[in-house]
Amino acid sequence: MKIAVLLSAGRHPVSSTAVLPRLEAQAIRIATRLGAAFGVPDEAAAPFGLHAGPDAAAVADALGQGLGRLEHIALSEGADPVPALAARLAATAPDLILAGRRGQGGGESGIVPYALAAALDRPLIADVVAVAPGDEAGTLRLDQSLGRGALRRVVVRGPVLATVHPDAPAPLAYAFGRARRGTIVSLGPTADPGAGPVIPVEERPYRRRPKVVKGAPAGGSAAERLKAATGESGAASRGRLLVDPDPEEAAREILAYLRRIGVVAPPASHPHP
Amino acid sequence: MTRLRRDPRAERTAIRVAAGTRPRYDRTAKPAGGRPRRDPRAERAGQRVPGASRPRFDLSPIILSQALHGDRPVVAETRPRPAPEAAPRIVVVEDPAFLVAVVPDATGGRLSGHDRQVLGAARTLAGREGGVVVVSAGPCEGCGPAGADRHVVLDDPGPDPAARAATIAAALADLEPRHVLFPESLDGGDLARRIAVRMGVALFDNAEVVAAAGLVRPARGRRVEQRAAPGRLATVAADAVPDHAGAPREARVLTVATAPAPASRLLSTERIPADPATVPLALAEFVTAAGNGLTDLDTFRQVVAALRATPGASRVLCDAGLMPRHTQVGASGTVLAATCYFALGISGAPQHLQGIAGCEHVVAVNTDLHASMIERAGLAIVQDAQAVMPALLRLLAQEAGEQEAGHPAGDPS
Amino acid sequence: MTSFMPLTTVFPGLVWTMAALALVQASRRASLWRVGAAAPVAWLHGLARLPRRYLVDVHHVVARDPHASRMHAVVAGGLLAASLLTALAILPPLAGSRAYWLLVTLAFAVTAAGSLLVGARRYPVKQKRLSAGRFQILPVLLLAYAVGGTLTALLLALGAGGIALPFALLAAAGGLGLAFEVRQGPMRHAVAGALHLAAHPRPGRFEGRPDTALQPLDLDAPRLGAAMPADFTWNRLLSYDACVSCGRCETACPAFAAGQPLNPKRLIQDLVAGLNPAEPPYAGTSYPGGRAAEGPRGPLARLIGPDARIHPDTLWSCTTCRACVEECPMMIEHVDAVVSLRRYQTLERGALPEKAIGPVTELRQAGDPGGRPLAARTDFAAGLDLPLMADRGQAQAEVDVLLWLGEGAYDLRYGRTLRALVRLLRRANVDFAVLGAEERDTGDLARRLGDEATFQALARENIATLARYRFARIVTGDPHALHALRNEYPAFGGHYTVVHHTALLLELIRAGQLSPQRLPDLSVTYHDPCYLARYNGETEAPRAVLDAIGLSRVEMARSGKRAMCCGGGGGAPVSDVPGERRIPDLRMAQATETGAGIVAVACPSCTAMLEGVTDRKADVRDVAELLLQAVEAGR
Repeated sequence: MKIAVLLSAGRHPVSSTAVLPRLEAQAIRIATRLGAAFGVPDEAAAPFGLHAGPDAAAVADALGQGLGRLEHIALSEGADPVPALAARLAATAPDLILAGRRGQGGGESGIVPYALAAALDRPLIADVVAVAPGDEAGTLRLDQSLGRGALRRVVVRGPVLATVHPDAPAPLAYAFGRARRGTIVSLGPTADPGAGPVIPVEERPYRRRPKVVKGAPAGGSAAERLKAATGESGAASRGRLLVDPDPEEAAREILAYLRRIGVVAPPASHPHP
Repeated sequence: MTRLRRDPRAERTAIRVAAGTRPRYDRTAKPAGGRPRRDPRAERAGQRVPGASRPRFDLSPIILSQALHGDRPVVAETRPRPAPEAAPRIVVVEDPAFLVAVVPDATGGRLSGHDRQVLGAARTLAGREGGVVVVSAGPCEGCGPAGADRHVVLDDPGPDPAARAATIAAALADLEPRHVLFPESLDGGDLARRIAVRMGVALFDNAEVVAAAGLVRPARGRRVEQRAAPGRLATVAADAVPDHAGAPREARVLTVATAPAPASRLLSTERIPADPATVPLALAEFVTAAGNGLTDLDTFRQVVAALRATPGASRVLCDAGLMPRHTQVGASGTVLAATCYFALGISGAPQHLQGIAGCEHVVAVNTDLHASMIERAGLAIVQDAQAVMPALLRLLAQEAGEQEAGHPAGDPS
Repeated sequence: MTSFMPLTTVFPGLVWTMAALALVQASRRASLWRVGAAAPVAWLHGLARLPRRYLVDVHHVVARDPHASRMHAVVAGGLLAASLLTALAILPPLAGSRAYWLLVTLAFAVTAAGSLLVGARRYPVKQKRLSAGRFQILPVLLLAYAVGGTLTALLLALGAGGIALPFALLAAAGGLGLAFEVRQGPMRHAVAGALHLAAHPRPGRFEGRPDTALQPLDLDAPRLGAAMPADFTWNRLLSYDACVSCGRCETACPAFAAGQPLNPKRLIQDLVAGLNPAEPPYAGTSYPGGRAAEGPRGPLARLIGPDARIHPDTLWSCTTCRACVEECPMMIEHVDAVVSLRRYQTLERGALPEKAIGPVTELRQAGDPGGRPLAARTDFAAGLDLPLMADRGQAQAEVDVLLWLGEGAYDLRYGRTLRALVRLLRRANVDFAVLGAEERDTGDLARRLGDEATFQALARENIATLARYRFARIVTGDPHALHALRNEYPAFGGHYTVVHHTALLLELIRAGQLSPQRLPDLSVTYHDPCYLARYNGETEAPRAVLDAIGLSRVEMARSGKRAMCCGGGGGAPVSDVPGERRIPDLRMAQATETGAGIVAVACPSCTAMLEGVTDRKADVRDVAELLLQAVEAGR
């Protein structure tokens, strides 16, 4: 079982220091655990990291997260990493390629895994939280997150590419000693980095916008928006206080409330008289 | 909506007491129209909490509007609901100048809240001349009121997203819309990227602003935002763009040329719903939590199971070893993202309230009227949780019994 | 053969034989220490100072338990004197002197009395903190040697040596038994303890310095931290052998009291047993939780693991409060052992406790364990207009006080304390400034959790920042930051005068810059922060400040350098190892026992931990808050 983890040059959301994106650290955890489940015959078959970009130092943290070896394809700033990555992955032919659901440092649109899957003609399973060997040899069982702990379990015959969802197990701790022992292999660019489809954008500092209030219609007046914010939909307006009610009555009120907001299923499947 | 002009003279005449020579007026009579006069004394009486020997008053503001009417201890705020408006006319765009396509998630054949927001965004882009077309794999209800002029219903290609992408891409190739919008949800985002790669077109993802002048999305960990003219493909972030507010549209059904979906490469797919009993607390949708006010945790566990909720607990219970540590809610435990938090016997320490800051609805049962949790709750019940739990269990059991017997359950509300 | 020799020769010969046997046993033991790593030891200096270290420093600790102190003085003094005197009797002039034998009798009699005191601690019922096993035989051996010796010497003194042989045999049995026990029995503590005092890894402890800074780790070393006994330096291995299983550490340990799986005595004994495959089984109180894993033994055996001798939870339970070190009569450095083991777990294996991974990662990536923006550190002071170092410019004269805010500045509750402190500084016209967004965490948390790499990176960044500014001294309210800045940064080239805020406030009161009113209505008990009292020996300044505002001050049963930890140090709150109770609850209960209405604190961790106790009877107030109240009462 050969596993590659795609790495991107992340930035810490607060401090802006170069860090390994959390999703990729989670991907490494999945990869190392899966690698251990299959047993690692030798160092070359152990999970490895792959990064295409100007600087390998940006992803060196991945060594401390549990990868023994990183491959770095030197690319100029802004070049499309897909052809180079596709060429290298075609050459190494890993059985499983893991990536974060959205890499950082490039276009940050999360398109690279999809472009790679198309270039390598492999199925892509998005937003996985767990990967395990399937019952049949050569198959993998992947759990996709559907949000709120619901899963879609997909069985697929490898090789396959998967992206990792934030609900996957939290990253392992960075170990300085492991990072010290790991190696970074520099590879020259193997394919001409042509420009991928890019949208010309204009950048400016981020401005936080108010979240849309549920139920407030578009183009409504300020009064309507205020009503939506404080009116029917907000918890404040529905604030009900029952002081010393009969426990039975309290129970009825609670159940009615829970059903109204939809967290408890209605009592009967057939319609009320 | 012009209000009737008040005539103070006439009003006074109306309340004049007939007897006596000196003019006397009955000020207690309720005026025929206009706003009711406040009566602080009655309000105060209404705020009085029954039962206590010492007079205690509930001063929370929600009580005020009801204090006038009756002396029931149960006080509820019920705003006058707006009268149902007459069904407005359906807007028809007969010959749209261009199309804006929306590919909704439409889980279970219905538009999600996020889908409706994307339709609102599409409506903005389409303007007066353009038409919004919903392209759904499988049936989808309610497209017209949400702003769709046209509706393409494709055959459901099954659970494989690759097949779904192929089917939808073929339809889009036939429709040739100017823009295609997707929700940036788990499935929608996945589909958008698959289609972008198939079409070889760049994707503008996670737009937080959608306008004909340009789309805006956050980038580099929300340190910068990027603006671009609306392109071919875009995904729209959740809760960033409002729903369509105008008159409903016709959602006329279109048929397009379809291509057969490629064979799925997935050997099997299986949906595993979240088990509320075991789902991680941070992901749970409905958390029922126990606090220091509970002594009978077995009943609590029965309530949790009966409500199909995820169990939580305050720190005190976890410290005492009565509940496992991983159930602890709060700043030092788990910070919740639940839709509803049902707090039984929890007074609500600041650290605990930090843990439920993200919960949309809170139901609290506590004996202390002045507990922070009561203040935070959408439904607050000042009563011993120890007494409410069995009542709740009885009620649920009764309903289940009625259901089994074939009788419809009584309307609980 | 011996029957032809006079008893006056045989008896001293017995002592010589004992000495030889003890030497053999000790050297067998010493061969084990040689697997340890090299360590620089000033042998001559250490040996020269040995008597002083023993009689002053060790006695200071032992004397806290007066009964144990008397017991040890009598039995050890008697044993040493009697054996030496008997050994000297090999010289014919002494052997022939009846008066001399009377002296020997006296010495043995003292030993016998001491042996009875030793026995009284174990029979009929053993004191709870003591270990059983071979230690239970010790009083018997001592008594046999002492009584046999007394009677033999007495008969020799009376000139009736002919009938003394049975008693000499009794003395021989006891004496040889004692000598045999030098290898892996109770008597090992005498030999290892003496050597340990001479070769102590922290000699500064005996020179009056609080030698408490963790020793920097060479990040280029082939192995980081300790995974097996051989990874410790030889004199540390020696120090663990000095453990006499008295259990004083166990009664002082807050984690043990809270029922977390840590017992310092058991931990040290596990290190001893890990080194020595033939070690007799441990016979004291075990780790709470009743874990029974044995694991492999030997110099190269893995020490930490769910199936090894020491469970990882044991390591992460430690609050690094040094209470065990403070109580240890053998001067063993338990916290150093814990941190060495943690360093291996963290640096080599990345095996931090699950909940601690987040804070340590944020510390490494963002310079703050909460991953908060550094600029938000001064948010607590909204409206107070804190002067920034950066605004003063380098050209200006140096600022008197650089106020180090620490991690507590992000905490809502502790922000109140810092606001009080800033107000007091303003009122006293102190020239001060803060680093603001340039201040990074000192790295204390990372270091205690074994992440030395992150600590060193943060230390270097902070030292570089501080090098850009001119200031007379650093003042901080956080004893953890104080300890790092004052004691641990010098190893990386940062030498500063660091003052705790309580010391500065006392100075301001004494200089008349603050004139507090008296608040005699308040009763207060002061909780000593470990990192101020034990790590830095500062126990007086906060008390003096409290006395200056005329509070009625009561002391808890454990206070000063022997105070109990609040549970907030060493990363214990983020590791959050489950126990039966919570440490802050225990400490708060001790505070409540005094009847004081206010618990005065002087540390953000203590504030947070004690504030977190539910159903508190007493208020938690920082010394600065109380002082501000007293100062403002005078307006």
